[in-house]
Amino acid sequence: MRLFLEIFIRSVRRQMTYRATILAGLATNYIFGLFRIAILLALYGDRQSVAGVDIDGAVTYMVLIQALIGFLSMFSWFDLMQSVYTGEVSGDLLKPISLYTLWMARDLGRAAVQFVFRGLLIFALYLPFFDLAYPAGAGQWLGLAIVIVLGWAVSFSWRFLVNLFAFWSPNALGIGRFLFILSWFFSGFLMPLRYYPDWVVEIANLTPFPYMMNVVLDVFIGVLTGPDLFAVVMVQLAWIAALGLAGQVVLRAGVRRLVILGG
Amino acid sequence: MTHTLRIYLRLLRVQFRSQLQYRASFVFLLFGTGLTASLEFASLALVLQRFDTIRGWTVAEVAFLYGLVEIAFGLMDMVFSGFDPQRFGLEVRKGTFDQILLRPISPTVQVLGSDLALRRIGRILTGAAIFAFAISRVSIAWTPVKLVLVPVMVVSMVLFFGGLFMIGATIAFWTVESIEVMNIVTYGGAYVISHPMHIYQRWLRGFFTYILPAIFLNYYPALFILGKTDPLGVPAWGPYAAPLVGVGVLLAALWFWRFGIRNYQSTGT
Repeated sequence: MRLFLEIFIRSVRRQMTYRATILAGLATNYIFGLFRIAILLALYGDRQSVAGVDIDGAVTYMVLIQALIGFLSMFSWFDLMQSVYTGEVSGDLLKPISLYTLWMARDLGRAAVQFVFRGLLIFALYLPFFDLAYPAGAGQWLGLAIVIVLGWAVSFSWRFLVNLFAFWSPNALGIGRFLFILSWFFSGFLMPLRYYPDWVVEIANLTPFPYMMNVVLDVFIGVLTGPDLFAVVMVQLAWIAALGLAGQVVLRAGVRRLVILGG
Repeated sequence: MTHTLRIYLRLLRVQFRSQLQYRASFVFLLFGTGLTASLEFASLALVLQRFDTIRGWTVAEVAFLYGLVEIAFGLMDMVFSGFDPQRFGLEVRKGTFDQILLRPISPTVQVLGSDLALRRIGRILTGAAIFAFAISRVSIAWTPVKLVLVPVMVVSMVLFFGGLFMIGATIAFWTVESIEVMNIVTYGGAYVISHPMHIYQRWLRGFFTYILPAIFLNYYPALFILGKTDPLGVPAWGPYAAPLVGVGVLLAALWFWRFGIRNYQSTGT
């Protein structure tokens, strides 16, 4: 646990040195959000509510999606893959901590910095210009906090698994990108899932992707509450367990194949 | 001139060969870029089942705008990939651009020939499919003028976004790293003009009309071709201004690029 904390703190410090990059990313996410809000509002037209989501909720959806991009590393995350290709992974494997836990601590540090300096900041910058919807009551806020943390854990476990392709292929970036793009659709990143036809939602719910982002959106604007929220938290935990376990099994098989070239 | 062209073609041949070396990985990248474009459009199309239209435009009519932008941006991203600010910024940082300046061939041609991202074909094909869907579903009263206008729109958009890539690359001479803010006008611009422009608020439309006149590339000619009534009051020449905007932006970019090279100071790496 101490080791986990130490790695986490190092990772936070490291992330903090990329302040300029974070700010540049923030500006891009922010302005793209304005485009996306404009398009969703045009879709609403004169309607006050669609699929149980009113205008404020719709705007909040888009704001949240843009605020979560950095936190969940939606566009790409191939750090572990790179470490396999550079051979750094061999050093990591010698550390007195499992590779999974090691990267989890690193990613938690990355996510924490992105959450505060990109997520919260983006959200704050939309506040003066739009009416947003908020969780109602302390219980919903608590649910939100849990769903966000578990959403990150689902996302991390999945990203860890994807990166393990590197043990089998010298060029796994192609398949990695492919899977990330798939996650855009099913996580609600392209559009919150509520707006899709039911059959799409049913397919999406079979994958881990909605449990990274979409559930956070729904809890925030208050269309996911009470027993449903509780059920979602259980599914999140199940996915973390399943993906984590799969990660361990695949990693063990992968490490056996690993050949590090000296140099 | 013919000498330069020969060199350009030779550089491209090198790109073809090296990129097709790892077939399986290439196929994945091809599908990956195709998938991005198709899932993004599918998401809009699926949502439109619930919302019906987007301020009076049906899914097929939006597909007309969307498909053309995907084709053009894909083409541009392939031909101008050497100027992709993200990639070019790295070149400046590593100092490899110095090598280019030392050779007795136009640096513009060398940078153009330094990359030809063939995986973009995936995006171009997806765009073509979306466009085909559009014209199969919308009844268009085709005239010779309209038929000519479609390829003119595509070429204009290629030049326009290519110019923006060049401007982004030139800025990297000073900032050394790629500037992500440039993505707002390139990727963001493509995103904005993939949708009918009358849906946006005044300030946003104003920016893409008066400051960066991308509205003439896609929306105005599309209004004319689709025979849609125009809610914005386009001047009569509106549908035909696309080439002017495309060529204009590219010329401005070329001028800025030359200016950048003249003032280039190596990072010394």
